[in-house]
Amino acid sequence: MIKSIKSTFLFLFVSLFALSLNAQSADEILDAYYEATGGRDAWNKVENMKYTAKVNQGGMEIPIEMVECKDGRSYTKVSFQGLNILQDVYDGKDLWNTNFQTMKAEKATSEDLSNHNLTIGDFPDPLLNYKKRGYKLELLGKESFDGTDAFKLKLTKKPMTVDGKEVEDTEYYYFEAESFVLLGQEMEVKSGPMKGLIQQITFSEYQEVDGLYVAFAMTQGEKGGQSQPIMIEKVELNVELDESIMAFPEEAPVEAPADKK
Amino acid sequence: MKKLSLLALLLMATSLLFLSPISAQETITLKGKELFGDMRARQIGPALMSGRISDLEAHPNNPRIIYAGTAGGGVWKSNNGGASFQPIFDDYIQSIGTVTVDPHDPDNTVYVGTGETWTRNSVSLGDGVYKTSDGGQNWKKLPLDGSERVSDIIVHPKNKDVLFVGELGALWGDSETRGVYKSEDGGQTWDNIFYIDQKTGCAELIMDPNDPNILYASMWEFRRTAWSFNSGGSKSGLFKSVDGGKNWKELRNGFPSGKLGRIAVAVAPSDGNILYAVIESEKTENNGLYRSDDAGNSWKRLNGDFGLVVRPFYFSRIVVDPKNPDVLVKAGLFGSISRDGGKTFKDPGNMHADIHDILFDINDSDRMYFATDGGVYRTWDGGSTLDIVSNIPVSQFYHLALDNEEPYNIYGGLQDNGSWYGPSHSPGGIEARDWNRVGYGDGFRVLRHSSKPIIYSEMQGAENVWRYDIERNQQKTIQPLPVKGDPKLRYNWNAPISLSPSKPDRIYIGSQFVHMSEDMGNTWKKISKDLTTNDKKKQDQENSGGLSKDNSGAENHCTVFTITESSLDENIVWAGTDDGNVQVTKNGGKKWSNVTKNIKGLPANTWCYHIEASVHDKGTAYAVFDGHTKNDKNPYCFKTTDFGKTWTSITTNDIKGFTRSIQEDFVNPDLLFLGTETGLYITINGGTSWSKFTNNMPSTAVHHLEMHPQTNDVVMATHGRGIIILDDISPLRELTNEILSKDVHFFNSEPFTLIEESGFGGSSTELQFVGPNRNRNAKIMYYLKKRHIFGKMKIDLYDQQGNHVKELSASKAKGINIVNWDYFTTTPKMAKGKTFTFGGFTAPRIQAGTYKVVMTKGKEKYETELVIKYDETSLVSADERKQHHEVTQKLFNMSEDLAYQVYQMDEMISGVNHLMGSLSSTEKEGNELLKKLNTLKESSVITTGDNYVGAAEPQLREKLAALYSKVASGFVPPSTSELENLALIEERFNKGKKELEALNKGPWAKLKDVGAIAGVTFPKVLSKTDFLKKS
Repeated sequence: MIKSIKSTFLFLFVSLFALSLNAQSADEILDAYYEATGGRDAWNKVENMKYTAKVNQGGMEIPIEMVECKDGRSYTKVSFQGLNILQDVYDGKDLWNTNFQTMKAEKATSEDLSNHNLTIGDFPDPLLNYKKRGYKLELLGKESFDGTDAFKLKLTKKPMTVDGKEVEDTEYYYFEAESFVLLGQEMEVKSGPMKGLIQQITFSEYQEVDGLYVAFAMTQGEKGGQSQPIMIEKVELNVELDESIMAFPEEAPVEAPADKK
Repeated sequence: MKKLSLLALLLMATSLLFLSPISAQETITLKGKELFGDMRARQIGPALMSGRISDLEAHPNNPRIIYAGTAGGGVWKSNNGGASFQPIFDDYIQSIGTVTVDPHDPDNTVYVGTGETWTRNSVSLGDGVYKTSDGGQNWKKLPLDGSERVSDIIVHPKNKDVLFVGELGALWGDSETRGVYKSEDGGQTWDNIFYIDQKTGCAELIMDPNDPNILYASMWEFRRTAWSFNSGGSKSGLFKSVDGGKNWKELRNGFPSGKLGRIAVAVAPSDGNILYAVIESEKTENNGLYRSDDAGNSWKRLNGDFGLVVRPFYFSRIVVDPKNPDVLVKAGLFGSISRDGGKTFKDPGNMHADIHDILFDINDSDRMYFATDGGVYRTWDGGSTLDIVSNIPVSQFYHLALDNEEPYNIYGGLQDNGSWYGPSHSPGGIEARDWNRVGYGDGFRVLRHSSKPIIYSEMQGAENVWRYDIERNQQKTIQPLPVKGDPKLRYNWNAPISLSPSKPDRIYIGSQFVHMSEDMGNTWKKISKDLTTNDKKKQDQENSGGLSKDNSGAENHCTVFTITESSLDENIVWAGTDDGNVQVTKNGGKKWSNVTKNIKGLPANTWCYHIEASVHDKGTAYAVFDGHTKNDKNPYCFKTTDFGKTWTSITTNDIKGFTRSIQEDFVNPDLLFLGTETGLYITINGGTSWSKFTNNMPSTAVHHLEMHPQTNDVVMATHGRGIIILDDISPLRELTNEILSKDVHFFNSEPFTLIEESGFGGSSTELQFVGPNRNRNAKIMYYLKKRHIFGKMKIDLYDQQGNHVKELSASKAKGINIVNWDYFTTTPKMAKGKTFTFGGFTAPRIQAGTYKVVMTKGKEKYETELVIKYDETSLVSADERKQHHEVTQKLFNMSEDLAYQVYQMDEMISGVNHLMGSLSSTEKEGNELLKKLNTLKESSVITTGDNYVGAAEPQLREKLAALYSKVASGFVPPSTSELENLALIEERFNKGKKELEALNKGPWAKLKDVGAIAGVTFPKVLSKTDFLKKS
């Protein structure tokens, strides 16, 4: 099974190589990307994705678990010293985070929640069904992405609200000109002290997971500046979710020490 | 079908097989990012004095958004009402004339007209008009060919596709790209709708606030040469169009007769009939502010104050309050504010001198922004008190020098901002407080004596050359003075000073002669004749300026501009002059040879900006020429290997823009760094091809650059973005065709030094610029022929015994990759409690030694070695390091032992509960055991509270972690107090360990036996090894 998929992938790669010689449209590039990574149908069948990853910071190897669902529910679980901190948790109603000091859940602002609600449906990414989502996609041209030729696409999403003001929400995507896989993504930081800077995410180490090709390495940081690598150890599709983890709790979402009597 | 696809694949693979190997003759030429990969420049500012700001622009509806165009540092955007700014135009030419926000789409569409219009001698050049449609994230150049300086861009208020551009045009020569341009298709095509001649450009273009058909254009006849400036002529004038630019009529009613100069003009936004103009004319008594109340038909002179008429070429801007037509501000030396319609003026409050633009807040006119030679200033009280924006590092260096301290310091002089030195590294980053002033006025060359605490600096044409004793805090001026028989000494505005590589006290200064002192400037002798062309026609600066005399010294010409003594032979001295001579002496100045005529392909009298004497060969030198003051923007760089008898051009079409300075690598003679008007270019093959370096390196003018011999850093003096450092260029030395053809190549590196420092960092606020420090991590540097996209790639590090020390993420870019290792291994696995123990977030550092590096790339493995050494200057001894390491390791192991003990306790607690639930007969013994286990656990680790002020009393884990962190995070061995504390903790640790063993072997073993007989099963308890592996 795996072997045949790999052959198909290579065949597609060859076909896409020919495609890259010709002029492209944004949709053609997107089609090629999804074909190269398993096909639109296969991607549309995915209900959720779970990433088991780690980041290295100053000698700390921090385990991370990220879950994203088609219906918008999501969480990121970061573990320190056996205790779990939950971030960007959305249970279908509330958006919340664990406070690092009290280890208790606290709701994100209404503005964050309404901005998050705008992204429900952007699964597994905002591009797959961008037309249905009412987004606008443009091909900006070919550009070097850290020395590798790439097609640059601009996605304009629904406007979001930042500090009470409506602002346009745009993202830029770089697809490698030969293989059509996604190399990176850029967007402007909209709020906080880093406001106005361009955030860059890179993707690499594509590997197959149940017929889909998924990046197993990412970096996140400021464009042209420092970035934080994220090493993905495992990607699972359509996992059975522990729904209780996402529900906004009254008390800390910390795994308590063993019960005592 | 399947067979066919496999065949196609096979063919494809075969063809690739034949194509991919690089034949011996084939040269691989990589450009830009595909060559330099992860190498990134480091912009260290400074921003405390900022630099010249040329234009300010507001968002029409959102007062939080402000744009600042700068003289040489690009466009900066504030999203927070001017509290701080960020650069948004780094990839393009950095000299900015104007910034215009499209009123139809102000959040996204912005136009930038490049080419500053404040035409001082050192002004940079632009190359046209750019447009962004996404608030500055991406830019497109509009096809307005030949553009050099854009004064204004106006978007028609009713039609976003109709654009008007005021084109001042070329400063240094004739040009037909001047006047007013109009586009009706959003900038795709342009018509020149108002043109006078090749000498007269549009200095200002404004539109009536109510009627877009009414335009005013200030046309200016002007010209600069390297030795003179002319403002004004019969073609200058103020013109008006009432039909959208089709026809233009000069406005003259009330203006003085005769020639006019640069005219500043403004229309009151709140009343289109009220206009102000500042006129430069033949008679000074006619210069000044004129006002019209009938839309320009007639004018009345109101005021000729100094602040209004001073240096029109530099200060021709009037800004009227958007709400009140009688409040206006005029740019100037200090600026001038009128609140009575222009009758009287006063200076605004204290700020940097030389104000070029003013911006009123769109809602509150008490809030204003000023564009000065020293940054953006803001006021909240109508200009009475002012505050500099502290995060715009657009300082304009002319030259720089480095010293041999660790970390090394950088010395340099700035346009209108004095001379300074500051460190290349400082705890917490390079802050404003790290920079030290060592000169006033316009600063240029600043040099550090190689062995004494002496700094030389200068200002404005050697008006002062200071010898400053840092330790004594004493300065003395030492410039050579005329002596009997001397003609007038001609010093360039940026007069050359250089030091001898062989004689520390020797110093050279250039006028039209080369002057040399062997005693740090006390005694001077001329070691040359006049080395220039001594063309008298180029020495009439007293009459320079045009209608307004402007003899600042900036146009002094026929001067020596660069002096270099060879580091291989003190008798070899090279000198280059601003009027195009290259001269060399091989006997310390007794005889000079003018070798200029040997340089084929160099236009006569092209300014010799820099001569680099080779460190590899006595007869080899590089001469860099800058022709832009003759309106020649071509790059010129030549190499000689025979003391100037013959020269070879080493520039190629790869280089865009004119050249100013070159730096030869100290190791590889084919590796050269070229400073140009548009940034840094690098060749790895002696100039056969050049590649622009763009990684975190703006397209700013690089006026001068130096290499540090110990760190291999290339340090650049940019004229618009401060000091920029390219750290450790050593990987570039190895790049040959053979290496470029390899899939993977590890670069050699010197041993990395583990610096034993632990300070407190800086004190800057988030609104202050802090220059990033040199990355002191160990670096694994390698070349990848192709970006790694598919399959696993990682880097593992092993010690000499083969133990795995660390896994690192691999960098995967095409070209040079750099993976950093911060010398840390991994944190200990800590016992799980109710809260964190912060000491447990500390990881031990590695010891010095040789480490094996294994790169896994797909199925392939590549290996190299990495050598780490201790800092030789550190005061920590080897024995102390050994003790530090042993105690750190002991505490680390105890922490992990305790973690496993607590895990065992939790497993036992869980097991006892499980047993009691299954077998009620065990409840009595079970509860007794639980009580003991819980008591033991509560003394081992915190089981209540939170991570802040709700914290519980620390237990064994917390005490152990605190001591571990205290020892491990430092570099020195533990103190007696720490060792005594360790003994106390160890006693408690051992006691707990024994108690747990006793409970495990005693009551828990018994209960498990009882359970086993009854058929109760228990989950498997992990071994310690497996527990520690589990994340």
